[in-house]
Amino acid sequence: MASPSPSPSPSPSPTPILILDRVSKRFAGHTAVDELSLSVSPGVIYGLLGPNGAGKTTTIRMIMDILEPDGGAVRVFGEPGGGRAHSERIGYLPEERGLYRKMRVLDVLVFLGEMKGVDRRQSRQRAETWLERLGLAQWKRRRVDELSKGMQQKVQFISTMLHDPDLLVLDEPFSGLDPVNAQVMKDTVLDLRSRGKTILFSTHIMEQAEKLCEQLCIIARGRKLVDGALSDIKRTHGGHHLVIGFDGSLGGAAQVFADKGLVSKVDNYGQYAELELASGADPQQILQRLVTSGARLSKFELQEASLNKIFIDLVGPDAARAEVRPDA
Amino acid sequence: MRKVWVVIRREFVERIRTRWFWVMALLGPLFFAAVFVLPTVLASRGGVRQIVVVDATTGPVGARITHLLNDSPMFRAQRVPASGEVVDSLTTEVEQKRLGGFLIVTDAAADSGKAEYRGSNVSGFATVGALERTIGEVVSAVRLEREGVDPRVVARARIPVRLETKKIAGGKTTGETAAQSFSLAYFMGIILYTAILLYGINVMSSVLEEKTTRIVEVLVSSLRPFQLMLGKVLGVGAVSIFQFLIWGVSARLLFTHRPAFLTGRDVGEADQIFQVPHVSGATAAVFITYFLGGFFLYSAMFAAVGAISSSEQEARQAQQPISWLLVLSFVSMFGMLNDPGSAFAITLSLIPFSSPIAMPVRWAAGNLPVSELALSLAILLAAIGGVTWVAARIYRVGILMTGKRPNLKDLVRWIRTA
Repeated sequence: MASPSPSPSPSPSPTPILILDRVSKRFAGHTAVDELSLSVSPGVIYGLLGPNGAGKTTTIRMIMDILEPDGGAVRVFGEPGGGRAHSERIGYLPEERGLYRKMRVLDVLVFLGEMKGVDRRQSRQRAETWLERLGLAQWKRRRVDELSKGMQQKVQFISTMLHDPDLLVLDEPFSGLDPVNAQVMKDTVLDLRSRGKTILFSTHIMEQAEKLCEQLCIIARGRKLVDGALSDIKRTHGGHHLVIGFDGSLGGAAQVFADKGLVSKVDNYGQYAELELASGADPQQILQRLVTSGARLSKFELQEASLNKIFIDLVGPDAARAEVRPDA
Repeated sequence: MRKVWVVIRREFVERIRTRWFWVMALLGPLFFAAVFVLPTVLASRGGVRQIVVVDATTGPVGARITHLLNDSPMFRAQRVPASGEVVDSLTTEVEQKRLGGFLIVTDAAADSGKAEYRGSNVSGFATVGALERTIGEVVSAVRLEREGVDPRVVARARIPVRLETKKIAGGKTTGETAAQSFSLAYFMGIILYTAILLYGINVMSSVLEEKTTRIVEVLVSSLRPFQLMLGKVLGVGAVSIFQFLIWGVSARLLFTHRPAFLTGRDVGEADQIFQVPHVSGATAAVFITYFLGGFFLYSAMFAAVGAISSSEQEARQAQQPISWLLVLSFVSMFGMLNDPGSAFAITLSLIPFSSPIAMPVRWAAGNLPVSELALSLAILLAAIGGVTWVAARIYRVGILMTGKRPNLKDLVRWIRTA
């Protein structure tokens, strides 16, 4: 990158870089986003998760000032209003991508750089550096429609990062990417994160979000289901599954398992049991009760559910499937 | 505002880089050449017509006509005595293009002024006009002499009359002839119509390109939709002005070097048919002002059409009502040229959708009160404001829409709520 960037701060400052406060957007006859609130701390990778049609793109468009919310407020970099006023500090990759097909690669990049407030000369310099870096240097004078789809995707990444933004907003960044470009995208996101940038991205693929996100927000049908740090969400929503191994003596374990206040479901194999905790039950209390009941334990493990499972539990199996997208 | 400038520059640079632009830049002067030089060339080519005078007269009329025709640079005439076979063989000659035509002169010419011309090109009005003049001169001379007038007196009385028509404008007599005014009005009409339509559609396809490639989302996150639309319209407008500049310069060159194209031709004779107009500064200003006005008005509408369409095909269909507005204004120009001061012409030059063509045409064709010009401009400006306001609201919603094209009800909702 052409300009030096601030080194990542060890503890993110508490002032969020982006805040949505009960933001709503209605289209003819249906509510795409319903009183959605979230906040993104600086320097994190933030995932906006939800099934297709949940309102992710609409939310991002409101953040980017492309759509105006019907209600609620957006604050970007601590200032009221959407991202347009800060467009020189925000990189945006829309879900559906495209470039001017008849323009030359370098010209497109210079133009888009200038649109983000970078002056012409610097924009050209940075574009050349990026093209070099992604192996497209010999294509810079070619027309965009002469490039392969993968190369066009790379050009589009470059256009998103050309102005070295502090906040990146990526709508379904991995969709439609070939494996090589998906890798480039992932590396770029992690590189930006390590340089203290904030990345907000939307996805409906939970495996990806689980690997990349530090904070996230799950929405469905325009409403927020949960948000916060990934580890917190896993703890509060994923810690329901308990695996217990016995070493000979079961003691009074059966009575503990029968306590509906602690355990909602049990799968007892004798020397091995899988429990589902009752809501609000503390695993620590079960451990204590088992020990005092005289059971000898060889294993006591609180299993972390995958984000995918949490997601399906929250959203429900029907909503998790693809929905019609009236707004898109 | 800097970003609007960036948009303007992109539109301008990308457009003048296209082959299309330079094809137009070259075709324009060729079009001028065709329109201004061709009639001259064709008319003067008619001037060396080989004709035969079939003389069936008993007096000197046939011989005198032949003599007088040979005096004109337009004809080479040969006299033959009349007979049935002569007419047949001459007809064959004309059919085989060895002869332009033949004139049959009988005694009736001197008595009732009747003669007959048979030729391959009887509609060439320069030829017919010259023949009529020549015969008329001979006939009147012969008849005067019959009345006992001295042939020398007749010769002295034979002064060719040329009527000079001059336009009165601004209380002064200008050097402009009626023919010049007509051709100027006519060409301004054609150019205004073509340019507004062409560049309006350019704006439309530019909007459509950004919409279908979805690049518009990135742009609109950096500048307001209205700024984007403005930059687009101004950029394409700048291209059109540049195109006019090229045309103007090359047309000028063509006019001044016209003799080079017409070596040995009688330019004066041809200019009688189609006059090269003199374009005054005021006329150029009116033309450019109304072109820009019309362009802004129509391109705002074309931008809205581009925004509500999802494909070239859809856009082509949706732009038809707008094109028709232009076609109507263009077609009514011919009615206006007959009487630039009629109520019909005045109405059209006040309605903002037709005034960009109607007003310059009226201006060129005849004297125009400044108050009318001012009123027409004021209405046009107000309409640009109103139409742009509506178009911008449709544009703003439309560029993000995909799927089915909105109906009128949707559009009204967009305008009200956007």
